[in-house]
Amino acid sequence: MNGDSADVGTDADPNESAGATARTDHTLDDEAMLRIRGLDAGYGDLQILTDVDLDVADGEYVTIVGPNGAGKSTVMKTVFGLTTYMDGTIEFDGEAIEATPPEEIIHEGIGFVPQTDNVFPGLSVEENLEMGAYILDSVPQDRLEAVYDRFPILRERRDQKAGNLSGGQRQMVAMGRTLMLDPDLLLLDEPSAGLAPDLVDDMFDRIDRINESGTAILMVEQNAKEALRRCDRGYVLVDGENRYTDRGETLLGDEQVRQDFLGG
Amino acid sequence: MESIELLSPAALREHPGLAVVAAIGLLLCVDLLAKLAGLQVGPLGGSLSVARLGSNLWNGLVIGLVIGLAGIGLSMTYSILNFANFSHGDLVSTGAFTGWGVAFVVAAAGSQPLGALVTVRDAGDVTPGAIGAHVLSTPGAIVVGLLAAFAITAVVSLAIDRAFYKPMRDRGGIALLITSVGVALVVRYLIQFAYGADRRGITASVDGDTLATPLGVSVTAHQLTIAVAAIGLMVAMHYTLQRTKLGTAMRAMADNKDLALITGIPAERVVAATWILGGGLAGASGYLYVLLRGTIQFDFGWSLLLLIFAAVILGGIGSIYGAIAGGLVIGLVFTTSTVWISSDFNAAAAFAVMILVLLLRPEGLFGGVSTA
Repeated sequence: MNGDSADVGTDADPNESAGATARTDHTLDDEAMLRIRGLDAGYGDLQILTDVDLDVADGEYVTIVGPNGAGKSTVMKTVFGLTTYMDGTIEFDGEAIEATPPEEIIHEGIGFVPQTDNVFPGLSVEENLEMGAYILDSVPQDRLEAVYDRFPILRERRDQKAGNLSGGQRQMVAMGRTLMLDPDLLLLDEPSAGLAPDLVDDMFDRIDRINESGTAILMVEQNAKEALRRCDRGYVLVDGENRYTDRGETLLGDEQVRQDFLGG
Repeated sequence: MESIELLSPAALREHPGLAVVAAIGLLLCVDLLAKLAGLQVGPLGGSLSVARLGSNLWNGLVIGLVIGLAGIGLSMTYSILNFANFSHGDLVSTGAFTGWGVAFVVAAAGSQPLGALVTVRDAGDVTPGAIGAHVLSTPGAIVVGLLAAFAITAVVSLAIDRAFYKPMRDRGGIALLITSVGVALVVRYLIQFAYGADRRGITASVDGDTLATPLGVSVTAHQLTIAVAAIGLMVAMHYTLQRTKLGTAMRAMADNKDLALITGIPAERVVAATWILGGGLAGASGYLYVLLRGTIQFDFGWSLLLLIFAAVILGGIGSIYGAIAGGLVIGLVFTTSTVWISSDFNAAAAFAVMILVLLLRPEGLFGGVSTA
């Protein structure tokens, strides 16, 4: 850690850094578990991300917020090798992973819950969870039980096809599937999208608990206020570039950020 | 339950075409009953023996099982690899020729020249009677031939995939479809080159071939063999897909390829399994088709492909259970339509039923139920 006031895990007084709206350079952490530097990426010839820097420390809860089309989801997809990589570095636990094909990223200890189509609709709930542990020789029964303990409704519905579940339950299946490997880092793309309003808080509570159990979270959220309130640190991404980075509470308190991105 | 809902008054009001179809269906049923009873009511009725109808149904069931078996592979390559494989019919032929070559060798090696046996009677001058391939006289050869048809076609399918489809994997369904038309031509004319172009007899005739005649319907040893083998392979396929890890991964990949990828499911291994199982079943079905017909010709698989496609689309493309159900419907319509129309038109009847089903249920019988 560099000891900067806005650095990861320091107890900087939010009031001190309020209004500082630090550029990412001030918060970069060479020790971070996930370490993205100068990332350019997009789809085919279309470049979406320009010179993006982003860190997630071990056990940290980081959110990316920003307007539509800012490239928030593209960051996650690029970590998983699902976009066209152009330049920059992505390191995980000190190992370069920008050239790792998508089906091997999961071996690194990273799980990914896409925003849509994140379950296998024709497979039962239990089969969905078992597929989460495909890369293991056998299904770890203790983790399956742990997922069922975390999401008890899934135990009741274990034999139902995932395609017949409600949006919230599908989201649980999708998260449960990634938890089968007990990942060090979980990437969540808009976990509250499409959920009934009364389920949104519940979903954020579940994410808090996953984070409290030691899994680092990198989350993209439309519901920016709630996401920033709960996370350790936030990134504001605009037009595919870093705009602000700071502690979530600090960004929430920042007049400029509030006016530009949080609707006042 | 489904059909009751389909014919509810509300559904009929919404789809007037449905009422017409239902009326025609009802008319045909009444006519069929009148025929069976030997009544003549105006233009309806006439005479039809229970034995003939039963025989039509039994033959339809057997041919339907063969078509359904062939359709499984077509449906799987569609759902997992995302393209309509026009070379599937020639994989059916591949299994038939290679499988029967092996069956002939097992049945008559030593007593007949090997060249004639391996080339399935293209070289030399050996009659089917001299080879004597029949499930009653040479059961071992018939079974070994079936296994060989499966295994060799699986290997051929895998080799074709590595040579032609793998380099094209990311080009999309249309490019792959066109490639498969080219592959179909290559395979078909390689078969003609190796085995010759003329139609010829395969199975020997054996006394006591008709095992039983319930209700006057003759059940032959080969028909029974085909039914048992096809159902056995279908059940094995069902268990592979539903109960094994690789089978579940195949269904997962059919459901959602991108998600399968980020879940760490090894795509190429699933693709290889798809070709081994789908190609193998195509080969087995070709072998069984020849066992049913008793003759073979280099392009019979290609001719059969249209019916296989009809079965798969009728059942709901992408679903193996749909392919089986579609195959049975096509087979039964194919044979029972001869009650009313000349057998020259029975393929047309099968396609007409396919079109009707798709008009009423565009997603096919099992459509939307993604089951690989």
